[in-house]
Amino acid sequence: MGGYGDVELIAKDGKRLDGRLADELRPITIEVGVLPAARGSCRMTWGLNIAEVAVYGPMEAHPRKIQRPDRAVLDVRYNMAPFSTSDRIRPGFNRRSREISKVTAEALESIVMVEMFPRSKIRVEIEILCAEAGTRCCGITAAAVALADAGIPMKDMLVSVAAGKINDVVVLDLDKAEDNYGQADLPVGIMPNTEEIAFLQMDGDLSPEEFDLAMKYNMKAAKEIHKLQMSALKSKYNGGVQ
Amino acid sequence: MVEIVPRLLKDQLLKLAEANNRIDGRGKNQRRDVNLEVNVLTNAEGSAKVVWGGTIVYAGVKFEIRTPWPDRPTEGSLMCGAELRPVANLKYEPGPPSAESIELGRVVDRGIRESGCINMEELCIVPGEKVWGVMIDIHVMSDKGNIFDACALAGIAALKTAIVPAERFDVGEDHPLPVSKIPIMASYRKVGGRFVYDPCEEEELGGDERVHITLGDDGHVHSLQKGLKGTFSTSEFAEIFANANEQAKELREMVEEKVN
Repeated sequence: MGGYGDVELIAKDGKRLDGRLADELRPITIEVGVLPAARGSCRMTWGLNIAEVAVYGPMEAHPRKIQRPDRAVLDVRYNMAPFSTSDRIRPGFNRRSREISKVTAEALESIVMVEMFPRSKIRVEIEILCAEAGTRCCGITAAAVALADAGIPMKDMLVSVAAGKINDVVVLDLDKAEDNYGQADLPVGIMPNTEEIAFLQMDGDLSPEEFDLAMKYNMKAAKEIHKLQMSALKSKYNGGVQ
Repeated sequence: MVEIVPRLLKDQLLKLAEANNRIDGRGKNQRRDVNLEVNVLTNAEGSAKVVWGGTIVYAGVKFEIRTPWPDRPTEGSLMCGAELRPVANLKYEPGPPSAESIELGRVVDRGIRESGCINMEELCIVPGEKVWGVMIDIHVMSDKGNIFDACALAGIAALKTAIVPAERFDVGEDHPLPVSKIPIMASYRKVGGRFVYDPCEEEELGGDERVHITLGDDGHVHSLQKGLKGTFSTSEFAEIFANANEQAKELREMVEEKVN
């Protein structure tokens, strides 16, 4: 968090800089089957964020030491394209993307029926083409759709969404300015049918009451996004009409 | 890849070539459908998306201010890089850039650079102190064959739409990057004993050597690359050269139409 709590991000009428109310999401679109080389794929736009995800496998796990005799492993890469941010990102190893790849893999392993594919691996490639705050949520949400598009058996969908705090007010889905000058960010991954949490991170400063409200916003938003995920998947078998 | 699949595929491709046919039913010099979109990425100063059959490529242009090389105090620089990340195909592995991805970036870079489409002197801000460094990054999202031509097309189209972000760097007003030419690449693959234009994934797997040629607006050659094992005759090359001119003309018109 930038921690500059004194930058005015909410107007007197309660509206945020882009005109949203506290519990409102940015516009979201989801499409499946967009990458012909992949077994399953998804393109998601979330505000100005653009993520495209490819899924390959299940296939034999290499190198052999990553194999698990009783289940599949998820080999997840979250990567930001060099042109995805205002300052160019040098391609290659980066601590932030490593961490996000790791927590994303662990979240997805919680919903994929990995025990059906012993000794195999499933590759999930998340590419962020345009980044404007909230790319990890966008990547995880799109990855779950791409896995379903690839026909990988799953216990539930997974929706990732974040709430946070700006100007001492709890709000849903922080944009770039709010993320830079906000006071807290709470991204979660929610299984929309069981309401279980498969992914959780947080940084900043939240009171227990603020945390409860942020989680409430997230839960409500997850149900909304879940509808978009399902209609994108169904539309593939319906001539692309959502 | 296990050798047996290309061997069987090779036999099939040879039979098809004898009947003057291709695995996807195209004519020898027939291109797959190509769709070009520009200004598709808000955080890039110029951008393009190319959908070339099942191959999908993005290109984005970024700028930085740097100090010029001591021997060229009034010249900016241009750099073009291509990434073959594992997202693009099952065959690409994670890790440091492969030889293939470095070759791809360098061949595309040479075609754009050597066409002279950018006058490096126009990238000078303060001689000897500040010049623009222009970087084109090409991201392959789906490889279903002939990524070279798709990358080159996305690269030049992104460059044609680039706006120099002078205001953000506090060195004047934003202005379009002057790009005077449109170099176009055409790639050929020896498949079943003859060269075909725009090879698809199966033709690349079961084919032999490849030739990439980049042509400028005036029909001059700006970059050539022969890749993989195999040889070709000068008459084969003459045929490729003649056809590349026709292909380049059509694609150049497509770029002109989209960027204006």
